[in-house]
Amino acid sequence: MTLITVDAVSKAFWIPTVRRDTIREHLFGMLQPRRFHRLQALDSVSFEVRDGETLGIMGRNGSGKSTLLKILCGIYPPDRGRVERRAAVTPILDLGVGWNPELDAVDNVFLIGSVMGLSLGEIRRSMDAILGFAELQEFANLKLAHYSSGMSSRLAYAVAFHAVRDVLVLDEIFAVGDAGFRQRCEERYRDLHAQGHTVLLVSHDPRTVTSFCDRALLLDHGRIVMEGPAREIADRYVSTLTKRISD
Amino acid sequence: MTVGAETMSAVDRSRPPILRAGLIWTLVRTDFKARYHGTLGGFVWALLKPMSMFVVLMGVFSFLFASNPTYKLNLIVGLFLWDFFAEGTKSGLTSLHARGYLLTKARVPPWILVVTSISNAVITLAVFSLVIMIFLISAGHPPTGQALAVIVIGFSLGSSVLFLRFRDLNQVWDVVVQAGFFVAPIIYPLGILPERFHFYLYIWPPTPVIEFSRAALVAGVMPTTTGHVYLAADAACCLAAGMLIYRRLSPRAAEHL
Repeated sequence: MTLITVDAVSKAFWIPTVRRDTIREHLFGMLQPRRFHRLQALDSVSFEVRDGETLGIMGRNGSGKSTLLKILCGIYPPDRGRVERRAAVTPILDLGVGWNPELDAVDNVFLIGSVMGLSLGEIRRSMDAILGFAELQEFANLKLAHYSSGMSSRLAYAVAFHAVRDVLVLDEIFAVGDAGFRQRCEERYRDLHAQGHTVLLVSHDPRTVTSFCDRALLLDHGRIVMEGPAREIADRYVSTLTKRISD
Repeated sequence: MTVGAETMSAVDRSRPPILRAGLIWTLVRTDFKARYHGTLGGFVWALLKPMSMFVVLMGVFSFLFASNPTYKLNLIVGLFLWDFFAEGTKSGLTSLHARGYLLTKARVPPWILVVTSISNAVITLAVFSLVIMIFLISAGHPPTGQALAVIVIGFSLGSSVLFLRFRDLNQVWDVVVQAGFFVAPIIYPLGILPERFHFYLYIWPPTPVIEFSRAALVAGVMPTTTGHVYLAADAACCLAAGMLIYRRLSPRAAEHL
């Protein structure tokens, strides 16, 4: 069964030559019209994600991977095309940042957990497991303002891994924490996969894609240039990078 | 879910929750906790702000309006309603920016972040309403905070998405609020101004709400049907304008964070 259908999705961003973010800048800039540069982040991208599969998405920086994930998760709307979701999607994106620094870990877990769709009862029941996964039990009542960036990221992954519904969307997973934490993330990921969760995984790391994904896509300048078995895509990605460096 | 242009769409058959009670409760609770450090003592500060203004203004202006026996009550009703308006609109305006980290993490309806941001102002107003009810046993009518809440929500919905594009909107609004305090008849009775100016003062949304509340609460007079209609239309216009701007700009809110 197809869980996610992406049909001819396009997305462009208009990048101004001069950025104006305030009323004052707009008023003073009225006599100096600015130009906009069109950045085509995604150009007619189509693919399907089937129930239970793990799909890898590879591509260089700026190839449109993160924009694609945000559209898949419903955070950005597409300019053109269609995204059809037939299952709940749990995104794990930009987790290194974005906590309320004035709240302690427990309240932040409630905040992020409920945003990710967990009920208050589910969060209460999972609290010990989440703090244990992140190894932060003894700092549970410490404000996030006093956390290191590594501690915040660990907590974010712990919440997100417990919030997974049907489809898990991961951006550059396993790039956080020490070796022990990364291993726990990998084990948790394998558990989720074994339970039949569908996973979309963005990564630059050929090892991650080949060892975790069944199938992969290679994005370049917002277009899918290759789609197929994960190993072939990872090899092509590495050879593309190597070629660019030698050129 | 279809957003804007005809050619783009995102169909969601994954039981998207429209009203997420758990999320709303968590946002209200954590906002209160972050602001007042989770203590009742901290919350007292929120009440002290309009109360201290009341004491100072009453000390000065009750001499000026000594002949007006209801001046003090009118002043306290006006001040608390104004405090709700000023605090609510300021929080609402910056709400999406302040909670932007939630918008870029998962699919969350932006309006929930906007509406819950005024919860602290609502709590303060609710506590005040309770207190004023005890003092005004003879009042018999609830305050018209509801109409002001609709105005504040309308303003917040519209301004929160505009603030993502114009980051000095909060400074502009601070100036408007400061001047607006004197435009609304809070520290002076409306009657001291010539009647031909009343119409202009009523254009400023807090004015009809404050006057309506004073009539019902302090004077014990139920305003006319026209008064009700004007107040409802005033609130509805603010809400409609805010929703229109919100509907147009909110789908791309996450892109401006």
